[in-house]
Amino acid sequence: MGFTRDAVERLSALRDEPAWLKSRRLESFGVYERTPMPDTRRDADWRQVDLKGLDLESFEPFQQPDGAAPAPSIPESLGVLAQRGTGAATAASSAAELERRGVVFCPLWEAAVRHPELVERYLFSALRPDRDKFSALHSAFFSGGTFLYVPDGVSLERPLVGQFWSAGTGGSTLPHTLIVAGKGSRFEYLDEFLDDGAAVSYVALHRWGEQAWQFAGQRVRLNRDAQFQGVNVGLGGRFARLRMEALLEGEGSSARLRGLFFGTGRQSFDFRTLQDHLAPHTTSDLLYKGALRDLARSVYVGVVRVEKNARGTSANQANRNLLLSEKARAASEPILEIENNDILRCSHGATVGPVDPEHLFYLTSRGIPEPVAERMLVQGFLSEVLDQIPVAYARQVVEEELARRIG
Amino acid sequence: MAIVPKIDVGDNYKEKYGFFDPEKYVFKAKRGLNEEVVKEISWMKNEPAWMTSFRLRALKVFFKKEMPTWGADLSKIDFDNIYYYLKSTEKQGKTWEDVPADIKRTFDRLGVPEAEKKFLAGVAAQYESEVVYHSLHKELESRGVIFLDTDTALREHPDLFKEYFGTVIPPADNKMSALNSAVWSGGSFIYVPKGVKVEIPLQAYFRINAENMGQFERTLIICDEGSFVHYIEGCTAPIYTTDSLHSAVVEIIVKRGARCRYTTVQNWSTNVFNLVTKRAMAYGDATMEWVDGNLGSQITMKYPSIYLMEPGAKGDVLSVAFAGKGQHQDAGGKAVHVAPNTSSNIVSKSISKAGGRTSYRGLIKVYPGARNSRSFVRCDALLLDENSRSDTYPTTEVDEEQVKIGHEATVSKVSDEQLFYLQSRGITRAEAETMIVNGFIEPFTKELPIEYAVELNRLIQLEMIGSVG
Repeated sequence: MGFTRDAVERLSALRDEPAWLKSRRLESFGVYERTPMPDTRRDADWRQVDLKGLDLESFEPFQQPDGAAPAPSIPESLGVLAQRGTGAATAASSAAELERRGVVFCPLWEAAVRHPELVERYLFSALRPDRDKFSALHSAFFSGGTFLYVPDGVSLERPLVGQFWSAGTGGSTLPHTLIVAGKGSRFEYLDEFLDDGAAVSYVALHRWGEQAWQFAGQRVRLNRDAQFQGVNVGLGGRFARLRMEALLEGEGSSARLRGLFFGTGRQSFDFRTLQDHLAPHTTSDLLYKGALRDLARSVYVGVVRVEKNARGTSANQANRNLLLSEKARAASEPILEIENNDILRCSHGATVGPVDPEHLFYLTSRGIPEPVAERMLVQGFLSEVLDQIPVAYARQVVEEELARRIG
Repeated sequence: MAIVPKIDVGDNYKEKYGFFDPEKYVFKAKRGLNEEVVKEISWMKNEPAWMTSFRLRALKVFFKKEMPTWGADLSKIDFDNIYYYLKSTEKQGKTWEDVPADIKRTFDRLGVPEAEKKFLAGVAAQYESEVVYHSLHKELESRGVIFLDTDTALREHPDLFKEYFGTVIPPADNKMSALNSAVWSGGSFIYVPKGVKVEIPLQAYFRINAENMGQFERTLIICDEGSFVHYIEGCTAPIYTTDSLHSAVVEIIVKRGARCRYTTVQNWSTNVFNLVTKRAMAYGDATMEWVDGNLGSQITMKYPSIYLMEPGAKGDVLSVAFAGKGQHQDAGGKAVHVAPNTSSNIVSKSISKAGGRTSYRGLIKVYPGARNSRSFVRCDALLLDENSRSDTYPTTEVDEEQVKIGHEATVSKVSDEQLFYLQSRGITRAEAETMIVNGFIEPFTKELPIEYAVELNRLIQLEMIGSVG
């Protein structure tokens, strides 16, 4: 049990990984061993985070489940790749079409063998293993994962989906997604993280949720004129930490970041976002909205940084939190760091509060019973982001889950 | 483009505020900080034993606490190179004639006696560690208003003093409040009795003259039920190449239905580190207003805060920061909602130019049970050139559902459209920029007594003219 050097070697041997990958894993393991757990009192990056009750030693470092992941079926997609632990992937892809257009869409371990020139160059080029203990842990033990490469100028009309299944409690799921988008390419990709039985009722979800700790990092590097649109949806987990970072490195690049969450029970969310403007004429727009009920809590810390030579920048950042119970709690910390004055506009806003009593009054005065009116207002509040989820399948899944939680 | 008269900002500060007098003192503590120095200060002041032990306890806390890891860069402060206590005259003047001639000349040049004649009800003037001049209108005195320097208050009103001193900001609150608690000297003590409204402002002027000086004034204001007072503080210092430290603690108690306004026009020279803890407790239906202007100093870290302790309490913070070359203004405000039906409003306006950096740092905290609290924070920043920087670090922690909390911030430059419009009317670019900046900080200037507003506008005009051309 536990994350040991021996476990790294065993994991690497499972897939007969190339030597460079194994040595990177071992190097990261060294960082993991050296790095202490984040100090949630002193380390600004971890402030307000409650890690009590997390015992890394209690987890299996990787899972070797008996069965493969359930065969996926998402009709509107161009391809789905489903994985569970270190088990074999099951795919439902239009393989011929992908191949014809030069798209690579396969498990990461397979890509490491077949396309080392791409994987070796880009793997961990955006996320540094030595950032904190969890990044190091991930770099040493990531198992399963998806590699997607879309060549220059290729545009895909239908989305690609990566699904990750957790095989129950006590295990750890550390998938790694690496996406390389060629110049002028265009596509949609959906990452889905599922517990077994995620489709079942609220209660079951809640039960799984009590036990899952999630630490996710997303980092996007945008080259010249690149556009990125990302949506993060937080519904599950006892504790879910999502880090979304957009580095606008190329002139004219833009990022549109959306977040949606709904916490119930004792769920706790921790969102950290970064909009880093490094090049001139870059644009970013962020909106994270969520509702919290029961004892749920959320922390949002977002930074907009406009670096010295990022002239002509426009940045916006907004975090809106709806508190639906007495004990729910939200903290919001939107941060601006502006080092160039030749900006179009940089602004941010944050709000925390219950459903607006005036709105409620208006609806009830029209004869709508209060619980229904409140539901409508919560739906309306969340739909601003929900409607922007680009993949129809995902939109539907989230909508159903939200409807269940709004009650 | 019109020719812009170039006035160097630093030069102007030098002749107006940055002059210094030869150092004279009747007592100067040894450089550096240790138990002996603290005991000596307490002995010099002939303090009761409880205060001496309070100081020594605070000193231990100071040594134990680490420097803050956030905010401005404080690594340059050398605590061993500072004089913690300097007494320049034996006795305090009741009239300006009693004040030693060279010290009086300093305050004359700063315009303090003149302002006193024109629009103040009481004046305190602190030079280095001690208050050298003190006055209060006879009429206010007869109505029971106490306005003294803090050392005298400890001697003359020991019970009132002991009841409130250190209750709002305990020594262990932070490293700098511990330092102040150990070596404090001077500052103002104000007590306004029930129902008394002090219609004309009281003012304190703080002056550092010596090099490597540390000034640690301690202010305590008690507004009894239904009273009102407006207190204004100003400060300047000579320009030295070595650093000085100013670290004040200001405690305010605003009782039921009272209102207190505290206005600061901070204009330290750019070799002063200004690290100040200011906090007010506002009780039922009371109002506390901080009007906080930061123009000077090398580094300022100051976040006036309001604890809203009982229903109906209201707090306002209006913060203005101006950072020029080599300056970092890390300022803002805090509102802590402890009781239901409380409201707070924080407005911050900051301007950065010539490589200066302004940071807004704030906290809105709502404790469980503080239902129907409302808080709104608005931060606007203006960047005047490419080398300057502006940051916004607001924190919101809400542990109660029935509340309404909002925060909005913008960062922008002087817009080309506004400039074009003004220039098309024949106004030079420099004048136009000055007008736009003055308009930007108007919410602040209009809250100042008129004499200060004029002065502030003039200051900013001078700073601006140096910035273009």
